[in-house]
Amino acid sequence: MAELAIENVTKRFGETEVLKGVSLTIADGEFVSLVGPSGCGKSTLLRLIAGLETQTSGTIRLAGQDVAGLRAADRDLSMVFQSYALYPHLSVRDNVAVPLRMRRLNGRQRLPMVGGLLPGARSAEQQLMADVEHAAKTLEIDHLLDRKPGQLSGGQRQRVALARALVRDPAAFLLDEPLSNLDAKLRVQTRVEIAELHRRLGATFVYVTHDQVEAMTMSSRIAVMMGGKILQCAPPDEVYENPADIQVAEFIGAPKINILPVDVNTDGHVTLLGQKLPLQLAQPETGVRIGFRPQALRLSGADARLTGVVAHTENLGAEVFAQIAVPGLENRIVMRAEPGQRAALHLGATVGVDFDCTAALLFDQNGQRIRTVRQAVAPELTGAL
Amino acid sequence: MERRQRRAAWALTLPAVVLMGVILLLPVTVAAVLSFTDFSLGNDSFNWVGFKNYDRLFTRSTYAKMFVATFTYVVTVVPISVGLGLGAALLIQSLGRFRELYKTIYFLPVMATLLAMSIAWEFMLHPSIGMINRTLELGCGTVLEQVWPFMANGCAKTFPVWLGDKRYAIWVICFIGIWQGFGFNMVLYLAGLTGVHRELYHAAEMDGAKSGWERFRLVTWPALGPTTVFVVTISCIRAFQVFDTVEAFWPQGGGPNKSTYVMMFAIFEKGVQQNLIGAGASITVMFLVFVMILTLIQRWLVERKVHYG
Repeated sequence: MAELAIENVTKRFGETEVLKGVSLTIADGEFVSLVGPSGCGKSTLLRLIAGLETQTSGTIRLAGQDVAGLRAADRDLSMVFQSYALYPHLSVRDNVAVPLRMRRLNGRQRLPMVGGLLPGARSAEQQLMADVEHAAKTLEIDHLLDRKPGQLSGGQRQRVALARALVRDPAAFLLDEPLSNLDAKLRVQTRVEIAELHRRLGATFVYVTHDQVEAMTMSSRIAVMMGGKILQCAPPDEVYENPADIQVAEFIGAPKINILPVDVNTDGHVTLLGQKLPLQLAQPETGVRIGFRPQALRLSGADARLTGVVAHTENLGAEVFAQIAVPGLENRIVMRAEPGQRAALHLGATVGVDFDCTAALLFDQNGQRIRTVRQAVAPELTGAL
Repeated sequence: MERRQRRAAWALTLPAVVLMGVILLLPVTVAAVLSFTDFSLGNDSFNWVGFKNYDRLFTRSTYAKMFVATFTYVVTVVPISVGLGLGAALLIQSLGRFRELYKTIYFLPVMATLLAMSIAWEFMLHPSIGMINRTLELGCGTVLEQVWPFMANGCAKTFPVWLGDKRYAIWVICFIGIWQGFGFNMVLYLAGLTGVHRELYHAAEMDGAKSGWERFRLVTWPALGPTTVFVVTISCIRAFQVFDTVEAFWPQGGGPNKSTYVMMFAIFEKGVQQNLIGAGASITVMFLVFVMILTLIQRWLVERKVHYG
């Protein structure tokens, strides 16, 4: 159990800079997901923490101690690999026992055959087997202990890899896309199990994934990585509702957020496709974009702010997502609708779409979130008053 | 319909079956049959002699020497050439640069004709003008003479007549066999090493395997299981087949006091030089039995032990 502090870490592979100054502090017992598209450096960061790679600059501290120069085997961390990396020639029991044997038995006691006869080897081996049984029970694989990894299904192998990681009670768990080789149904189930395992063990988890749903559902905090940097690190709801960067907003949430270009006139008022929105910025800017989550949009009548043609609908049963092509906008907008509204959303129908401006997210030309937005009173409402 | 399909299937497999019969099974059968006769090439007829040829194989001292020479060679060359092949492959694998260069150097003896190489070795091993004894002579008068009895003996009298001394001849043949063969094993092991999953090494490191030896035992060696079975089998069969060096060094007779009278040479001598086809055929059958046993062991191991499926 330990706090993990990463300060200003960079990593270069030859000419390419994979990590460009990453800082992150993970508290004891926290579940932090590193999420981002492939090539964003999340796996590299995890391998730096593990000690399988060495950073070009910056420091990594584990429980306050700088781990530079400490090799992976000495860092007291466990890792679950994407391919599970189980030893194919060993039974499940021996696979899970490997980390214990390596640490608790000395070189001579580990020798095949004669090792078991040396003093202390037998009692150590008995204790070790008890720990293996315990870990296997925790992950409900105790009936598989005598099988070889080749005889197990993907989900079972995944559990064995988890058992091997938790058997020696490490300071922190590092998980590198552990669910990506499972089928969709099993992934959902295992997601829950890993989250519950984390709650039960109370250990520090660092979880790498490219799947934002996994990150959202399991983590105490999500670190969204792009291009070798952490763009935002916050609890899931914060990352979703209050993204700091347009790339974060676009990466988190499915279906993707609608990003529309807006104009800002000289007094800071925001206009979308020529219509004034009740939003005002502190100063005029160019290249401003506005983001709406699909559920911030709603079906509306003819007086709606946007009018378009339904180009495609996706019915998920409990909800319907409609893609609507709006003249003047480059991309289709995606709107969430209730199943009851399906009739109005048939293909080719012209529909009005309205939105709640309090749910709007504004981003400047660099993609940074604009937080100084005033909810200006709309001119038409002023007239009514 | 079904009958037509069956007939088509037979028609399609026929060429392969015929070829296998004519090229493989027929010669083996002929050899097996001839091993029970006293047939010689050029004779019109032959007599059935029963197990006489085989009886001689196990009673005559020449054949006892043949088995001793052959098994000495196999038991020496196979483990050493497999071990060196694995060692060289691991070293080359760990190299950053010059990998291709080392691969080529170690593989050169495999590509070279052993017969031609034997002539080069014969010069080097020449007792008075050969490079090896000349080099050894340089050690005379140095500290080596005190610590190494072989050296002291050589300086006092003469250095060995490598190819003419029954104490050394078979070991010279073994040495050349290893020198020539381990590059091939190295290439096979290099291919095997590319199949080892990289993440397994990382997992081993995370699990606390700190030394290279631990990682080798936990990851590399088990992963090379199938390769090792193949390499050992191939090396055994090649070792049973050793012939070129013996023929090049001692065209008449199989070495000093028949100390290098290996099986292949015996087949050649009996069957070709002395035209005793029956005797040659019986040795051939013995040879085939050994190879068959090796192949069966390999198949059994491959199916049982080294594939973790």
